[in-house]
Amino acid sequence: MTRIIALLASLLVAAPVLAKDAFHLYNWNNYIAPETIKRFEDFCKCDVVQTYYSDNEELLAKLAAGAKGYDMLVPTSNAVQALIKGGQLKPIDKSQLTNLKNINPIYLDTAFDPGNKYSVPYAMSTTIIGYNDQKMKELGLPTDTWAVIFDPKYLEKVKGRVTVLDSSSELFAAALKYLGYSANDVDPKHWDEAAALIKKAKPYWAAFNASSYIKELTVGNIWLVHGYSNDIFQANLDAKAAGRPFQILQGMPKEGAVLAVDNMVIHKDAPRPDLALKFMNFMLEGKNSSELTNLIGSGNPNMDAVKYIKPEILKNPAIFPDKAVEAKLEQLKDLTGPQRRLRNKLWTEIKAGR
Amino acid sequence: MRNRRLVLWTAALAGYAFLYVPLVIVIAYSFNNSRLNAEWVGFTLQWYDTLFHDENMLVAAGNSLAIALVASLVSTVLGTAAGVAMYRYPARLLSVLVLAPIAIPEILMGVSLLIFFVLLNFTLGLVSVALAHIAFCIGFVAIVVRARLAGMDETLTEAARDCGASPWNTFRYITLPLIMPGVIAGALMAFTLSIDDFVITFFTAGAGTVTLPLQIYSMIKIAVTPEVNAVSSLLMLLTLALIILASKISPTLLRSE
Amino acid sequence: MSVVAARTGSRLGRWLVSGPPTLYLIVFFAVPSLIMVLASFRTPGEFGGLAPLVEEGKLDLNLESYARFFSESVYAQIFLKSFWYALLTTLLCLALAYPLASLIARSSKRYRDLLLLLVILPFWSNFLIRVYAWMIILGPNAALAKTVNGVLAWFGHEPVPLLFSAFAVLVCLVYVHLPFMVLPLYANLEKHDLALLDAAQDLGANAWQRFWRITFPLSLPGVYAGAALVFIPAFGIFAIPDILGGPDDSLIGNVIKQQFLETRDWPFGSVLSIVLTVTALVLAGLAAWVARRNLGAPSSAKESRA
Repeated sequence: MTRIIALLASLLVAAPVLAKDAFHLYNWNNYIAPETIKRFEDFCKCDVVQTYYSDNEELLAKLAAGAKGYDMLVPTSNAVQALIKGGQLKPIDKSQLTNLKNINPIYLDTAFDPGNKYSVPYAMSTTIIGYNDQKMKELGLPTDTWAVIFDPKYLEKVKGRVTVLDSSSELFAAALKYLGYSANDVDPKHWDEAAALIKKAKPYWAAFNASSYIKELTVGNIWLVHGYSNDIFQANLDAKAAGRPFQILQGMPKEGAVLAVDNMVIHKDAPRPDLALKFMNFMLEGKNSSELTNLIGSGNPNMDAVKYIKPEILKNPAIFPDKAVEAKLEQLKDLTGPQRRLRNKLWTEIKAGR
Repeated sequence: MRNRRLVLWTAALAGYAFLYVPLVIVIAYSFNNSRLNAEWVGFTLQWYDTLFHDENMLVAAGNSLAIALVASLVSTVLGTAAGVAMYRYPARLLSVLVLAPIAIPEILMGVSLLIFFVLLNFTLGLVSVALAHIAFCIGFVAIVVRARLAGMDETLTEAARDCGASPWNTFRYITLPLIMPGVIAGALMAFTLSIDDFVITFFTAGAGTVTLPLQIYSMIKIAVTPEVNAVSSLLMLLTLALIILASKISPTLLRSE
Repeated sequence: MSVVAARTGSRLGRWLVSGPPTLYLIVFFAVPSLIMVLASFRTPGEFGGLAPLVEEGKLDLNLESYARFFSESVYAQIFLKSFWYALLTTLLCLALAYPLASLIARSSKRYRDLLLLLVILPFWSNFLIRVYAWMIILGPNAALAKTVNGVLAWFGHEPVPLLFSAFAVLVCLVYVHLPFMVLPLYANLEKHDLALLDAAQDLGANAWQRFWRITFPLSLPGVYAGAALVFIPAFGIFAIPDILGGPDDSLIGNVIKQQFLETRDWPFGSVLSIVLTVTALVLAGLAAWVARRNLGAPSSAKESRA
């Protein structure tokens, strides 16, 4: 209790001056295990100051307006692309990353960051289908295809019990994959097809929701979602903890899905790039990397982490897909300005009910 | 006579019920034995325990309280002045300046303030957030004070001036007590706006600055656990206690005779 | 009023009173906003933000974003929808707030402050939690939905979702904005002289006449203040539709947010924001003008003297 009073009293002095070195990490919330942070603080004899964002776009908007003071960011690949092109990142001194060899080579040297000059993979997730297994069996619906989200003949049975992500890039990607195109297809005609598909399915959906859908799924109000694999994994843990008669399972659509790889990058104006590099190397160690996977069920590009990950997570095909599925996964690419504008126009029309 | 009072009472009680049913759920669920804020599972005190060990959440709550106190104080002073000015003088520019921050989308104001602070090389932190909050709170106070002043009886102030009172004394002993309910109402609104603001705070907060809304909104994609209910319940209690304390210390300040 | 102003308002006094707030708002509101007004004439940056202002020695300003707004009618459609939501919210808030504010204003001094605090107390808890509480109340398995749908089933009607619907959005909008209607109304009602009502009653006026011809006109400044403080913010809100809106409940606030985040088209976001702000200010000005014309009833002893 006295700690709290001391804490509140010290706030009156306002400025966040810390006696030790401070490492500013701007990350998704709950995207690093507390034990890992503690261990890093002991290792580097520094304080980790965390601030959070809940969306890549929030991060991009803030940095585009000139915000400073962050050492490390953890954006998804398409955001990394935008940041590199916008000159917001500091090149990494790879000689200090002794653990880089732990990363599975297929995740290195990507199109958006050739040679990994700026980024290093951190964790992954896929955007797939999450469902209430009891209800899906009852209604006899398939759970391995996007059709169950887009096809009215299936949607009829779950009308008002389905949510999709409130993200134009994710939903369009799913629609494009269902139609047989690439998730990164930029042909306006294909986009029109996808928009038409979405508009036909929209009356059956309960909401476009990226925040409270997991809660509703776990409680049983919603039976089928288009969502992130980590969230669905968490929903199942919550459902078990609450003693529900059903499970929340992950369904990997056979047409393919979006893979989101989050990367560690250093901001160009980072006050302590040395600490950032230390942290990067620290997180490239298998044990440290595994802790997040064990916590939230995120995918892991680190080969050395495999031996520390819980076996039931390793066996989960939505988190660690086999080669056949991996081939169908695509990472989203950043769009150009005019493309973003066209996409937004279509999205606004969809949302406005035209 | 009794019928009318009954109708008034029933309608008012319905209003209070509307306000409080969600609040009862908020407080009740802070004892809910489930990570999600969705369904009642069982009773537990674990979330309060988690809260007292969660330094980040406590610091965020403290920051929010500090910013809200400062912002509501400054914006009440400036807003009252603005309200009086809008009433007394033809203050066209001020009227627009006061109303526009309420109308402008928060995200625009947040981004523009961030760009502004960066241009000035102003370090982002608690102060930048407080400055931003004051900017959008002034309008709320000004409008309420102005509405309170509308149709105010000027004979009292005239009489005071005739008796030789200086403008400041006239304001302090005549006008201010008369408009005090408006000032208090405005201050309460400003405090409420500041303590719960997310969008503008998101853009103007520094690299290590966390306020309670920032902390909570970042949990939105994983789960807003009952720990948040716990911190909210405690914050409400704390603020209520502070206000009751303040009114006990300076009873004449808050009473309007 | 101008007579009073001439006597009591010295130049210095005027600057002392209106100066500080004006200065503060110019520095911390007007100047930053002008940056974004300028942005509405610029080109979006390729990767976000804004393109450089001076491109190859020439000032890069254009009306493209404005042209887009006026050429694609979907934005006007969404504006209109937001207008209706905000209007409905304001009216519902007024209906709910009036009895509350009356009760508080008429209470004895002992209870008045407490009752007032009780109105605003719930709003010191976090916004998100309160919205989640409404999700629990409106959930398909909760008592309310079951009752409503039970009644509907009686009439052979399909079950209606309470959550993720326009109904949920409206309920939450009213809930979130209610104190901003109660407080200004209270501040106004508090100063009403009950002697006026007693006199009217003595002269034979019934309860409704007393309310409609004395109380309500006198409370109009409070009504307009509350309406402004509810309508204007509600016009641009985005969080509530995001969390518990249905697929058709996107409002202009959501579209503006998307411009700054997903699309990274700041100029267009600025255009939409400017249209929103100007519309809101114009509406407020209109309402104030109507209010001034309607304030024919003597609102103070001074005016009735004249």
